[in-house]
Amino acid sequence: MTDQITFPDAVQWAVPVFIAAILAEFLWIAIKGRGGRYETRDAVTSLIMGAGNIASGFLLGFIAYAFFMWLWQITPLDLGTSIPIIILCFVLDDLRYYWVHRFGHRIRWVWASHVNHHSSQHYNLTTALRQTWTYTFTFMMVVRAPLILLGFHPAMVLFVGGLNLIYQFWIHTEAIGKMPRWFEAVMNTPSHHRAHHGRNARYLDCNYAGVFIIWDKIFGTFVPEQEDDKVDYGLVHNIGTFNPLRVAFHEWVGIWKDATQPGLTTGQRLAYCFAPPGYSHDGSRDSSAQIKAKHLARHPKDRGTPGFEQCDAELSASVAKQS
Amino acid sequence: MPLEILLVLVVGGIAGVTLLLHLTGRSRLHELTPKTAQDQWLRHFPNDSIIDVTVATDGHAALVRIETGAGLLWSFGADTVARHLLDFDRIDHPQGFEVQFHDFSTPRVVIHLDETERRHWQHLMEPA
Repeated sequence: MTDQITFPDAVQWAVPVFIAAILAEFLWIAIKGRGGRYETRDAVTSLIMGAGNIASGFLLGFIAYAFFMWLWQITPLDLGTSIPIIILCFVLDDLRYYWVHRFGHRIRWVWASHVNHHSSQHYNLTTALRQTWTYTFTFMMVVRAPLILLGFHPAMVLFVGGLNLIYQFWIHTEAIGKMPRWFEAVMNTPSHHRAHHGRNARYLDCNYAGVFIIWDKIFGTFVPEQEDDKVDYGLVHNIGTFNPLRVAFHEWVGIWKDATQPGLTTGQRLAYCFAPPGYSHDGSRDSSAQIKAKHLARHPKDRGTPGFEQCDAELSASVAKQS
Repeated sequence: MPLEILLVLVVGGIAGVTLLLHLTGRSRLHELTPKTAQDQWLRHFPNDSIIDVTVATDGHAALVRIETGAGLLWSFGADTVARHLLDFDRIDHPQGFEVQFHDFSTPRVVIHLDETERRHWQHLMEPA
């Protein structure tokens, strides 16, 4: 079993490219007068979140790495590090990313880490860097366990994960409209990911892909960006702070306040931690299904259009439950 | 990448982008009018029915009366943030009011009002 394998830390090496691309996007928008918006404090907050993400990797990364190396010690499999294996690892890790990302939107404990990435009302290349500081506490590193147990070396798994994040950088832009049709069909693109960042009812809980949009098409979560429903970026309840500490920890604080209210059952406390965002024991908040139901009540013509096709049964149940 | 170089890149990059954006006018606050305040409120709370909107003279905040009570909308960089006035403290501030929301993600906002506006807003913000 090979332990002494090293791969470059791709994300660190990409930092100069990130900075250059942000300047290029800003200049493009300034010269063309279209293709996105920049605001000073929003961008600075995003950049500080990105720096904090790298710092948290230095401080807490050893926990995941130790877990992965333990798995590597117990697995009898070793697929080596040939190019085809690295490519296979990249594709399977992207499938892993899809599910972690989906959990990140559907399990409040994981959402508490991921929410900060969606907390900007802007969508530009700095938004891509508005990354979590608390991913380690979600324990989502366990989703990578099957890859390592199958014989993909931990260093390779982390390397392809870094490439995945680097790919996702360029899709955080309004400066690119649509890519060629074949590319849009297979790959995650700025258009697909803009929809993912939408707080419009139509775009809630869609397009979880990292690199390949095919996962959303396979698992039924794909919603194409609609020309007649411009994406409104941010959170359903937008936060009112640029303070990076509040951005990083606000949902964790929210979980704590909700789950420690007096008079709740154990099930209700657990639901505040692990149910989908929007859960409340007294029905005072809306889940994404209820938000979609209310939207359709106001705009019945949208029934059956992308983002609303699959939810009719779910919506009826949700509305019945509410009433 | 050596840590020192990474540090220089990150700190230099953040400082450079901050300076560039500020010097090119990207620090301006969102300006509200009665019409845009209504639109912004409904963007945040699409299920609400608005009764009327009072925009502060400086254009950076609006008090919105809805069927179920009152709400506050304010400029947040180039965008806006809105909250229903349910769980909050209103504290006098030399420039108007400070509203504290008891919310870790939106702790407080200072609303700039002149003396006449302050009295009017105080009246509007009192529970019916």
